[in-house]
Amino acid sequence: MTSSIRTRRRPGVLIGAVAIAFGLVAAACGGDDGGSSSGGNETTAAPAETTAPAPATQPPADDDTPVPGGKIVFGLEADTSSPWTPSAMVCAISCHMVARTVYDTLMIPGADNVPHPYLAESVTPNDDYTVWRITARSGVKFHDGTDFDGAAIVDNISRHRSALLTGTALLDLVSIELDPADPMTAVATTNKPWATFPWYLTGQIGYMASPTWLAAVDGDAALAAKPVGTGPFVFDDYKPNEFYRGVKNADYWNQPYPYLDEIEFIPIADGLKRRDALKAGDIDALHINNGEVITEFRDSGEFNTIEVTKNGETTYSLLHVTKEGSAVADRRVRCALANASDAATTNEVVSFGVYQLASGPFSPSQVGYLEDTGYPMVQDMAKAQELIAEYKAENPGELKIALATTTDATNLVIANFQKDWWEEAGVDEVTIDQIDQANYIVTALLGNFEVFQWRNHGGVDLDQQYFWWHSSSALPVGSLALNFGRIKDANLDALLEENRSTLDPARKQEIAEEVNRLFATECYNLWGSYAIWLIASKPDVKGFAAANLVLPDGEVALEGSGIAGTFYVSTIWKAS
Amino acid sequence: MRYFGQKLIQLLIVVFVVTFVVSLALGAIPNAEERIIASTGQGAFTEEERNAILDEVHLRDSVVVQYGHFVKDLVTFDWGVTFGGNQPVRESIWDGLQISLRLMIYAQLVALLVSIPLALLAAYRNGGIFDRISTTVSFGFISVPNYVLATVLGLFFTVQWKIFPALSKNVSFFDSPFDHFKNFFLPTVVLAAPLAATYMRLLRSDLINTLQSDFITTARAKGLSTSRILFGHALRPSLFSLLTAAAVNVGALVGGSVVVETAFNMNGLGRKTVVGIFSSEFRLVQITVVVLALVYVFINFLADILYGFLDPRVRGARSV
Repeated sequence: MTSSIRTRRRPGVLIGAVAIAFGLVAAACGGDDGGSSSGGNETTAAPAETTAPAPATQPPADDDTPVPGGKIVFGLEADTSSPWTPSAMVCAISCHMVARTVYDTLMIPGADNVPHPYLAESVTPNDDYTVWRITARSGVKFHDGTDFDGAAIVDNISRHRSALLTGTALLDLVSIELDPADPMTAVATTNKPWATFPWYLTGQIGYMASPTWLAAVDGDAALAAKPVGTGPFVFDDYKPNEFYRGVKNADYWNQPYPYLDEIEFIPIADGLKRRDALKAGDIDALHINNGEVITEFRDSGEFNTIEVTKNGETTYSLLHVTKEGSAVADRRVRCALANASDAATTNEVVSFGVYQLASGPFSPSQVGYLEDTGYPMVQDMAKAQELIAEYKAENPGELKIALATTTDATNLVIANFQKDWWEEAGVDEVTIDQIDQANYIVTALLGNFEVFQWRNHGGVDLDQQYFWWHSSSALPVGSLALNFGRIKDANLDALLEENRSTLDPARKQEIAEEVNRLFATECYNLWGSYAIWLIASKPDVKGFAAANLVLPDGEVALEGSGIAGTFYVSTIWKAS
Repeated sequence: MRYFGQKLIQLLIVVFVVTFVVSLALGAIPNAEERIIASTGQGAFTEEERNAILDEVHLRDSVVVQYGHFVKDLVTFDWGVTFGGNQPVRESIWDGLQISLRLMIYAQLVALLVSIPLALLAAYRNGGIFDRISTTVSFGFISVPNYVLATVLGLFFTVQWKIFPALSKNVSFFDSPFDHFKNFFLPTVVLAAPLAATYMRLLRSDLINTLQSDFITTARAKGLSTSRILFGHALRPSLFSLLTAAAVNVGALVGGSVVVETAFNMNGLGRKTVVGIFSSEFRLVQITVVVLALVYVFINFLADILYGFLDPRVRGARSV
């Protein structure tokens, strides 16, 4: 009984731990949030060229009239613990929350699933999408008084190109230069048609920092803790693992935003502690993906809540599919592990059953989602045993598999479930390696694993998964690579490349679905469930729905802004 | 003086060993080079850039050179910046040290102020009702893990009754004395409760022995008052175990209050160390370990000196 209670009280720890583990690479992910491109040769992102059907519903904008003024304190799931220079940020969800106070992105995903110009006045391609003209919005200044112009865009994106992580996402970008004829325009040239390029400007790569400040950071690294952007809040103070505080940018270019006078973020890693802090009144709002707390808030009605499920991430076990000498390089073994696994049980035991089980990498609102991909959603031990027996007949000797997890107790619970299932299927020995968080990430980057607990693949368009799965990112074991599982699949490469070059919604849908089925057929990963993020606030704190942000062209922002668990800070307001 | 000199030499030896081991710890970490490169989060594609980063931490230098650089940086306070956040390590450690020192001082004060009178009372009425109740209660506090106490107190005093904040902030005493104590109250209580119980048990036990001594019998025969016997004659020679425990706990509290700091979201030195380990903040962890070791060694050095003050026989015995 005691054991059961303890197990059920810790669902958030698992997800949080995996999220932290994912944090390092989320930098690259954050850089290309979103999916399909806009396109057209004259304007940036014509809604007519949307790559996916508009979401059926998203939380509506508040009916009440926002009241300016006040301060809120927000509980984050983690501190960012990286320099605030956009090219060096290790940017998971909490990082984006903070970054959006001080920075604006060049583009923002609209509710129509298309990126719309935000800090950029326009983003315009040539006919074959190999040259993109990014024009800065005129009259905008950084918080330090520096003008925002084409040179600022060039400086920022150039830094990303040489960055360790975000640079990997920009391998197809050949150059970014200032247009000699127009000081407000940067010209990006790609080595292949890249129709979905604007999506890369909606996330981390789209954050624009002051070139003056960036140059100062080059000379004094300590200044990296004091970011300077064009965003709705000016940096005030930051102490790692304690707080980040921004004060209202009274001269913000996109009036009437922001409404608040001040916003403070406090990292509280433990989900239950974050909940208690909200209940105790220490914080005004929080975001959380802890199954227990989500269930509790759903039932209580004590706080305002918004659940962000669209374009979210998938929890899964990552397989190193090309590891030399490893059994998981064999498709039969991978599929045996998939058939032997019972995601429904782990979802019920550690997450109160709040999550939807995953059939593939794409959650229901993402392009390419399929209810039935062919992936075994129900445990089939007989099938698993049959596949293992077949493999063993051809490969005599002991079949051993190493399963890596974090040092977190709940992750270990899941790992032990997996060990039992897989050994029942016929694997002679499943060893569980608990690795500390910092080494966990590096281990994944280096490819030193067979099976790894993980969470990833949120976003709108398939293109944002490009570098996670394309063989160009599958560097040899021992080199840092974002294609952790070292997938080298010519069919997958071809599909990813075609998706990158097209804006045809129907074709993009077909491609993404094909990718989904391919993952199921090859059993490249063992799918778990789709993440849910809940944002809860005191009754007088409002404005978290993305639909409250009206973009310069009149469209409203996409729920979760393409990164589940986040919101736009400029739209929050306090009634009292 | 000779006793002092011996203790000082011991202190210097410990400091040397700690700094030497810590200076080499970086190279002993698995995948050290890759982790350092990855921790920067910055571009390091070329071999030159990679070498520059690794040269900065002297990872490829000889043991002696590594130690030399480490000591030089240490004594000149050139502690660099954290990889994550580029915060000056010196600033980060000073912030954490302030919180940990305050927690340690408050916890020790509360523990001593509670335990000494209770121990005196319990020892004086050895075997009485108060002694039995206080013994049972103290065993209870010693057995309850501090995370349980933190959770229970937090549940009632923060979530239910909203008397104290769930997230304790490092509010300066000079900015707002009321808020300062409000924020430090629960963490102090959680830390002080098991300490007070332990101190009480130790002091009670020593006092009972002392109270059976001939010189106490003589004092009683002379008609001295109970309070004079307890405070003036029995207490001082009974403080040995208490002093030892308090000295050991100073170091343990400064760096080892991780659970309490985490429970109340306080960014003290203990929590910083643990977070630093998990986020590959090598420099921060190295310096923190040295600072903690220095605090620990120095406090115990003072305790050794104080032993000699409390009981001159110690000085004499050691210097013979």
